[in-house]
Amino acid sequence: MGDFLKLTNVTKQFQGLVAVDNVNLDMKEHTIHSLIGPNGAGKTTTVNLITGVLSKTKGTVVFDGKDITNLPTHKVARCGIGRTFQNIKVFPTMTLLENIMVGGHQITKMGIVRSVFDIKGQRAEEKMVREKAEEILDRLGMYHLKDEYMKNLPYGRQKISEIGRAMMTDPKLILLDEPAAGLNPSERAELVKVIEKSHNEGYSFFLIEHNMDVVMKISDYITVLSFGKEIAQGKPEEIQKDPEVIRAYLGSAYLEQKKDQ
Amino acid sequence: MNTIILQLLVSGLAMGFIYALVGIEYTLIWNSTGLLNFSHDKLITLGAYIFGASMVLQYGLSKPLAILVTFVVMFLLGCLVALGIFNPLRNMRSNIFAVMGTIILGRIIAEFIRLYWGPVPFTVPDWLTGTFNFGGFIVTRANVIICGVSALVVITLQCFLTFTKTGKAMRCVAQNKKAATLMGINVSQNICITTGISAIICSTIGFLTIPLFTISTTMAATIGLKGFSAGVIGGFGYIPGVIVGGIFIGIVENLAVAVLPAVYKDVVSFALLILFLLVKPSGFLGKRA
Amino acid sequence: MSGKKRTRIYILTAVVLALIILLPHVLHNDYYMVVINRILINTIVVLGLNFITGLTGQMNLGTAGIYALGAYSSALFVSYTNLSPWLGLLVAILMGFIIGRALGYPSLRIRGVYLSLTTIGFAEVVRLLLANLADFTGGTTGLKNIPCYSIFGFYFNTQTRMYYLFVVMAAIAFFIAWRIVHSKWGRVFKSLRDNIDAVEMTGVDVANMKIRAFTIAAIYGTIGGAMYAHFMGYINPSTFTVDLSTNYVIMLMVGGLESVVGCLVGSAVVTGLPEILRFLGDYYQIVFNAVILLGAIFFPNGWLNLAVTGVKKLMYRMGIRTAESGGGK
Repeated sequence: MGDFLKLTNVTKQFQGLVAVDNVNLDMKEHTIHSLIGPNGAGKTTTVNLITGVLSKTKGTVVFDGKDITNLPTHKVARCGIGRTFQNIKVFPTMTLLENIMVGGHQITKMGIVRSVFDIKGQRAEEKMVREKAEEILDRLGMYHLKDEYMKNLPYGRQKISEIGRAMMTDPKLILLDEPAAGLNPSERAELVKVIEKSHNEGYSFFLIEHNMDVVMKISDYITVLSFGKEIAQGKPEEIQKDPEVIRAYLGSAYLEQKKDQ
Repeated sequence: MNTIILQLLVSGLAMGFIYALVGIEYTLIWNSTGLLNFSHDKLITLGAYIFGASMVLQYGLSKPLAILVTFVVMFLLGCLVALGIFNPLRNMRSNIFAVMGTIILGRIIAEFIRLYWGPVPFTVPDWLTGTFNFGGFIVTRANVIICGVSALVVITLQCFLTFTKTGKAMRCVAQNKKAATLMGINVSQNICITTGISAIICSTIGFLTIPLFTISTTMAATIGLKGFSAGVIGGFGYIPGVIVGGIFIGIVENLAVAVLPAVYKDVVSFALLILFLLVKPSGFLGKRA
Repeated sequence: MSGKKRTRIYILTAVVLALIILLPHVLHNDYYMVVINRILINTIVVLGLNFITGLTGQMNLGTAGIYALGAYSSALFVSYTNLSPWLGLLVAILMGFIIGRALGYPSLRIRGVYLSLTTIGFAEVVRLLLANLADFTGGTTGLKNIPCYSIFGFYFNTQTRMYYLFVVMAAIAFFIAWRIVHSKWGRVFKSLRDNIDAVEMTGVDVANMKIRAFTIAAIYGTIGGAMYAHFMGYINPSTFTVDLSTNYVIMLMVGGLESVVGCLVGSAVVTGLPEILRFLGDYYQIVFNAVILLGAIFFPNGWLNLAVTGVKKLMYRMGIRTAESGGGK
């Protein structure tokens, strides 16, 4: 049993700017691991580096005992990593069910020619994918919306549907890039419920989040980034007390003030 | 032998400058609207027709005055096209309508030309004809003027973009429309001016290519396409890139004539386009696409 | 499905079939049959274009080049070998596959507008080469005496005979296109148009997927080209211009993107309209293009979307469609 998700000295340099600087991270299976940090700390960049959207300047990424450092995005996904996006990326002209079913394309086997002429086989395969998608929608509590066009759904639903689309690929790990951003409090509560429920069902989550309520409530382990550097690691309670973290978030003046009191 | 190579180099350089101008003219619109203006070759043709057929031959204006009037007409037309067609098209969900919109605009212009001026090719008498003799080395006057005028256009445009307020605003819009709007730049008006300037460059290309192709409805078809190759080779959407790309294509295809049968001359730029897409899709100067 | 509804569908199918079979005998006019045969050929080409441009949203502006290579590869193969035009069709299909891969690989591997640039250049290069390599292709005078299709000594040499053959071929093409569009493949092609990053993150090799869509488009295009060559009996490079490529995209736009039935409608409208609007004379082109341009700006769903919605409502009233059976948009 190798490492689940392990980043070693991962660095990304954009011309003069070092966006991610020697980040090391070790995530255990069946956990919710959060990556937090102030704006511009390099969180989304880190996710893009893991998924191969950006190329790494330095460092290695190992997933499930396999080196995925230089794999293109679709191959990273095939290794068992699913992902949602900070600014939702859905298919607005398709229905919710179709959106989820797109996620199932890769798990099917039939080639184009066969799916044209093998009418029965194609129908069986399509049924399998549809049933799986419907089951996921049911778990996410959105089954009744399955025939709505995506563009007509509220923002929160669209965001949660991305988790469903990722689940279609049977991922071992799902990366959530700011899932709570832009959600109202009730949608946020819904999201937390979905994540916790899925976690109990055996999914592992790597979470990037701004919203501290969400992070502290559901994380097992937290890594903190500031200006591309990793400044702290630990359990939520430890992170809350860490002076480095407080300084990064609230500025050093706040700490000084606290000491004086 | 050396003189022939030198001759080919000069005519290649002149053609290269033409491609560079074509590249600049559509890159301006691409940067400000995100539309590839597939009607640009028809705008070039229209410029040549307005200048040659109407201003010089029909109304008998002197050539500098004719150029000036053509510029004004084309600028206004550019603004009109921007307002009526590019502005609504650039907000379309599907880029198919945007691309087709510009292509169909080109067809309408071509039809208009055919109906209004007739289908017979012609040329403007005494326009950029003759040769220069540099101590036994003979170059056509057209080639020298093409190089000179193109260089002038490039420099003027660069100054305009760098030093004037409108030019700076154009660069802002090219980089980030939302931010530009927030900074109080009127994006629609900006697109209007950009398209107008692009139309002026188009008509300049039209004037310059009259001695090479004569005036006909299809005079600009191939240079229009090669301008696109120039963009990819130099770096798409980047003005210094298209200039380098254009001059590169012009010289390479002219030198190719020395080795290959003439049939393949027009294939060279396409082959280069494919080669660059395979080997270096960002082009000579482009940032990673 | 209720028995009553099923009967209605049977009746409708029978009526349509009877119309298709009887059409040449009702019209009794060879000229109209030429137009109808061209509509059938164009439908096949547009069905293909729908995959790359309608579904995946990548602009293919080089249909004329693909069509030309289909026509020439089949015609040249037949004229050099004296073999059956059906083998020429196979050569054309192979040609389509090669075009799809060879042109798709450089231009679809990277994101951006590169497909429109390479295809438009490709079509122009094909036309120039066909016109200039006179020893091989016949040059600007074109190729003459291309034999027509035949089966066991039965020659499809009249417009009516060709009509029946082309109806069958178009029906097969239509069936295959329908199956692909309404399967997981159609779904993943459409999703590429909507958001490419999201598709890639589900493990789909998006470049490969776009190349596949383009290859299907190219194969349909070359099949259409081959049929055109053996239908006309004479081909010449001046047919295959940028204008022709544009016309195919217009057919797609008029019919409504991503709809298989729309391809047939669009091809019929754009091919047939010049015949109906002949009274416009010289002004036809400018009026037609102006109408299409205004349509693109003000009715981006296609002129016929309105009509299609109307027909759907009518069918719903007749009880053939249920409210929830959406079908193609």
